[in-house]
Amino acid sequence: MSNVSSSSFGRGSQIILNVYLVIFFAYMFLPLILMVAAGFNEFDTPSVTTWKGFTWKWFGVLAQDDRMWSGLVNSILIAVGVIIVSMPLGLAGAFLITRLQSRYNGLLYGIMVSPLLTPGIILGISTLIFWREGGVSGGLFTAAVAQATYISSYTMLMFMARLKRQDVTLEEAALDLGASHTQVFRRITMPFLKPTILTAAVIAFLQSFENYNTTIFAIGGSHTLVTEIGSRMRFGLSPAVNVIGIIFVFLTITFATIYVIFREREKKRVSALMG
Amino acid sequence: MNSLRSSFGPVLSLVIMGLVGVWVVGMIIGPQLIMVEQSLWNKEIGGEAAQISTRIDRLYNEVDTLAFDKSDAEALDESTDRTEKIAAITAEIDTRKSTITELEATEVKPIKVYSFRNYTLMGASHFFIFLKTIAAAVAVTVIAFVVCYPIAFAVAKVATPGKAAMIMLFLIIPYSINELLRIFAWLMILDNNGVANLILGWFGFESIPFLGSGSGVFIAMVYAYILFMVFPIYNTVETLDGSQIEAARDMGASTWQIHRKIVIPHAKPGIAVGCIMTFMLSAGSFAVPNIMTRGIAEPWFTQLIYNKFFESSNWNTGSAYAFTLVIACIVFIFMMMRFFGVGIKDIAK
Repeated sequence: MSNVSSSSFGRGSQIILNVYLVIFFAYMFLPLILMVAAGFNEFDTPSVTTWKGFTWKWFGVLAQDDRMWSGLVNSILIAVGVIIVSMPLGLAGAFLITRLQSRYNGLLYGIMVSPLLTPGIILGISTLIFWREGGVSGGLFTAAVAQATYISSYTMLMFMARLKRQDVTLEEAALDLGASHTQVFRRITMPFLKPTILTAAVIAFLQSFENYNTTIFAIGGSHTLVTEIGSRMRFGLSPAVNVIGIIFVFLTITFATIYVIFREREKKRVSALMG
Repeated sequence: MNSLRSSFGPVLSLVIMGLVGVWVVGMIIGPQLIMVEQSLWNKEIGGEAAQISTRIDRLYNEVDTLAFDKSDAEALDESTDRTEKIAAITAEIDTRKSTITELEATEVKPIKVYSFRNYTLMGASHFFIFLKTIAAAVAVTVIAFVVCYPIAFAVAKVATPGKAAMIMLFLIIPYSINELLRIFAWLMILDNNGVANLILGWFGFESIPFLGSGSGVFIAMVYAYILFMVFPIYNTVETLDGSQIEAARDMGASTWQIHRKIVIPHAKPGIAVGCIMTFMLSAGSFAVPNIMTRGIAEPWFTQLIYNKFFESSNWNTGSAYAFTLVIACIVFIFMMMRFFGVGIKDIAK
């Protein structure tokens, strides 16, 4: 859609807006910069107010931390489990909503997106209680199931967005020409969904890996990288936590930049196609 | 059902229905229902049964002590005295054990009693914490809207494409940095010898105990969830045709009128989604209070729920508290849908 030409905005409001943006982004980034800085401080609690000199030593301390490593392994195990569960569930949900013509569609859709509107801790608690009734106590399994409950909603929305752009006549033509349903599904539907499958898997992995509120309630006595960071922040404070922050910030900036560049390219391509 | 079968055939249709069934029933509705059911009962044991179970407990303790005596006796030197002692103790243990089996046969299992007691017994102090949590979540939502609306509008309609992409990148970076790290950054700022108190000190002010007073929770909450308001509003404002704004301006509408009459009505679904997400994340956040109170300030509602489950292990009351939070969120969602006049289809896009 077209932008408002800058001429329709006075210079005055243009300046106010710019000042506002600068203040807002200072508010967004200064705390993160402080957190990163404290990871390089020689002082042995996270601080920037007491500066004892620059050091890399907290990276070494973190690398020696066994609980962090085991947390990382658990996080990856859970995330893989979440992908395995949420891809077929999201796909099935998307097929059902886009193809089923029924008056219960609205209700079904409402139920399937409701986990996104439910507080994370509730998903953790209800999953924990549900599985305890079946004799399974809290652990990596319940954490993965609880996360998959809402991550499936994400993958479903992504598949739905893709399916809406699908040309259904292609499938119909193939069926008319004598292809079986399985052939159509394997040869037409799935190849069409392929790019989304990859992005959905990445999103599912990241959502799972980053999750705290749902996981902490469902994981029982075990821990993930993020729940471990959470308990470190609360109790034994060491700048090793800031080093994790530095790594996360670095990775986030890299991926966000790549994402925005791709997004801009896609936009340009679309607008070029549309003339 | 037929429409599904005509596109996928009978086998795939069944697989799809089965998977959706597992998700909807086994992961969404089932667990919620069990949680609600659990919130509606308590285990109770009658007076006489309680006495019996205390007697059984006492007998078990005696058996344990006797077992210690026995092992002491066994450590003695070989003598007739020793064998007699052991025999006497073994006899005593045996009589107690038989009494235990007798009593256990008559012992009544605690019975489930259904009532609303878990809800009504919340008590004034916990109910006040609930209200405080909800009020804080509403305040975070309002602040987030006021701060983020201009940003969303700027990216969608005012900035040149290059600048918009830049602002977008600057929004996505803090948005995707882990929640805990965003909170932790503010823990360092608001700590007693943190940056905020250092700056206050420069100006000669007394230091403020942000963490102990609970205000730290609110400040970090605003920071942690504010960006969840930007993207939904941006997505809807972006679809507004810019020429509508220019036409209004040409006809002499003020900036205020343009936003009130054109932009905001168009962005309603996005604003509703932003408000629902921000409220839900704030009201249901365990991360922020858990880190920012450091166990010294008054707990927040989510912490009360956590304690019911994992410290006093009273899952029934815990479930009641958890469901109270769910009800608050449902009420808020319906209020937003009413207020902005949007349906569930508009919300979940």
